[in-house]
Amino acid sequence: RGFCVSAGPPSTRQLREAEEAAPVFQYAGKAARRKDRVFVWGFSYSGALGIPSFVKPDAGWKKPRRIQPTPYRLETEDKISSAACGYGFTLLASNTRDITKVWGMGLNKDSQLGFQRSRRDQTKGYEYVLEPSPIPLPLEKPQQTRVLQVSCGRAHSLVLTDSEGVFTMGNNSYGQCGRKVVEDEIYSGSHVIHQLKEFDSKVVQVVCGQDHSLFRTKKGSVYACGWGADGQTGLGHYNITSVPTKLHGDIAGVNIIQVSSYGDCCLAVSDEGDVFGWGNSEYLQLASVTETTQVNVPRHLPFKIGKVKEAACGGTGNIVLTEEGNVFVWGYGILGKGPNLTETAEPEMIPPSLFGWSDFSPDTRVARVRCGLSQFAALTNRGELFVWGKNLRGCLGTGRMEDQYFPWRVTVPGEVVDVACGVDHMVSMVRSFT
Amino acid sequence: LNAAPERAPRQRVRFLPSPAPGGGGAVELVAASVPVLADHPLVRGPRFRKLKIGAGHRLDVKASGVFVLGIGHGNKLLGDLYNCHLTKVYTVGGLFGKATDDFSDTGNLIEKTTFDHITREKLERILAVIQGTNQKALLMYSNIDMKTQEAYELAVKGLIRPMGKSPPIITAIRCLQFALPEFQLEIHCLHETQQYLRKVVHEIGLELKSSAVCTQVRRTRDGVFTVDDALPRTQWNLQSIQEAMRNCQLKVETELEKTLA
Repeated sequence: RGFCVSAGPPSTRQLREAEEAAPVFQYAGKAARRKDRVFVWGFSYSGALGIPSFVKPDAGWKKPRRIQPTPYRLETEDKISSAACGYGFTLLASNTRDITKVWGMGLNKDSQLGFQRSRRDQTKGYEYVLEPSPIPLPLEKPQQTRVLQVSCGRAHSLVLTDSEGVFTMGNNSYGQCGRKVVEDEIYSGSHVIHQLKEFDSKVVQVVCGQDHSLFRTKKGSVYACGWGADGQTGLGHYNITSVPTKLHGDIAGVNIIQVSSYGDCCLAVSDEGDVFGWGNSEYLQLASVTETTQVNVPRHLPFKIGKVKEAACGGTGNIVLTEEGNVFVWGYGILGKGPNLTETAEPEMIPPSLFGWSDFSPDTRVARVRCGLSQFAALTNRGELFVWGKNLRGCLGTGRMEDQYFPWRVTVPGEVVDVACGVDHMVSMVRSFT
Repeated sequence: LNAAPERAPRQRVRFLPSPAPGGGGAVELVAASVPVLADHPLVRGPRFRKLKIGAGHRLDVKASGVFVLGIGHGNKLLGDLYNCHLTKVYTVGGLFGKATDDFSDTGNLIEKTTFDHITREKLERILAVIQGTNQKALLMYSNIDMKTQEAYELAVKGLIRPMGKSPPIITAIRCLQFALPEFQLEIHCLHETQQYLRKVVHEIGLELKSSAVCTQVRRTRDGVFTVDDALPRTQWNLQSIQEAMRNCQLKVETELEKTLA
């Protein structure tokens, strides 16, 4: 009777007051930074994805996952600046000054991940490493040297540092580690990590082919060592080289700004935009200059496609990116222009509309190209990743098991900064959106 | 409409008796084209007593913009236009800092958040990703076998689109204006509802680690009909309607021929 007020539907004034009095939540402050993450996908039983629960489930409800068809986040403590995928193993490297700078996971039967001491038996090493494990490098100044880049081949890996040269480990039966071939050497559980320092200037890029290694120095010269039966060492012969030797041929005196290789063919890009190739040409990769199937001296490839910015070599196909942002492919296999184009000796352009270019967004262009053994990957300047090629054990990351005949977007929850392609898995470095 | 000049009555050739030139009672049949009595307005009555009007794609109460209607025989064209699956363009306005239960600014408030960390660059990044995932959905729901050469050719030209039922797909999205806390987007979409667009605004807010509500949804284009062809409320009279129909007829026919051919 005058003490209580009946409650009816809230009037507009009451609603507005309630709204103004509501607490304001803050989810991201002014200093919120974008986080760097690593996503992996592909075949997981070799341990190359670095997620042990895929191979050995640690909870009862988890089942072993043979293939991870879509990108899966890999938790790392440090920001990974460089990654490389080999044949069944992965190397991740960070730019820090801490003692552990390189982590490896996957196959370790040839000690390509260094010596990983087994916990059960202190004398033996692990043959399969399921989690990113630190690789101990014999550095002179471990708290000052930074690791710039890593690269992986079939059974060997190279680590490039800024002041202590190149470290190589793994299989050396063809001299690909840059040291003398020891007959009947047992590579499994080996502690040997070789250091290479004798180059004409500082090494700025290391590239691993299947069983050979390429080093590019600051002066623009290229060194090679390893197996040469297909001419991939480019030294003028088809023998094994166990010491890094400088390449001549058409690249003598040319300032090379990028080298690339993954199988048995190699490509180099000069600062003027010319492309040089050597190595295996069974799949028409170098057929524009020669009919022979092996080229053991670097040859200039006279393509009239404009100034080339970046090149990538796969097992059977090659891809280049020009300064205008156009992508050209040639070689054999699924090249990305539909199922009808399986082999070509001259570069064919992939229309930019397949990479997200349209009248609505005319400044979308391809910024990087990468190659796996039979897959291609392209990164656009908007941070989208496009893949195409043979979908071996789910390595394309599209979520489907079928081969992809034209560039297809991979949905990654973040802006893709870099991607490393392997035979049956891929690793990408991604920055979150906000 | 009924007062407008009617079409001329049908003529029919009838043999009418008329007196023969000879005189007397002889009657001769002479052919003459006379109007049919059944077409006479006093016999037939007003031409239009009711009109069948059908509506095109739905537009809900809180939204505004182009709304396509079909009159009489035009309803069949409406059906054909629906099967063309053309994109619609919306201008969507949003407001950061609030989250409500029905994603628009008139709903019950659920949460308020800060938004000063949002920049235009972050918004554009999110929009690029939305466009990318929807582009993938476009290719997937179009039910074309990806392994054929013709799928590649269509993908190059950008002509792949779902020709059947599919969930809402956004083909293009971009930011027109950005002034914290308000922003405006232009969205090109297929098979959508306005509530879905409001949900998209809400999700953009969530993705930017804040919250957003939708203040305005305005359809600026529905297939071939743009805002210029549409009649505002002041022009809802017979003459403008007829003029607008005449202007659009050609466009509609060309579009139907192109897509359904």
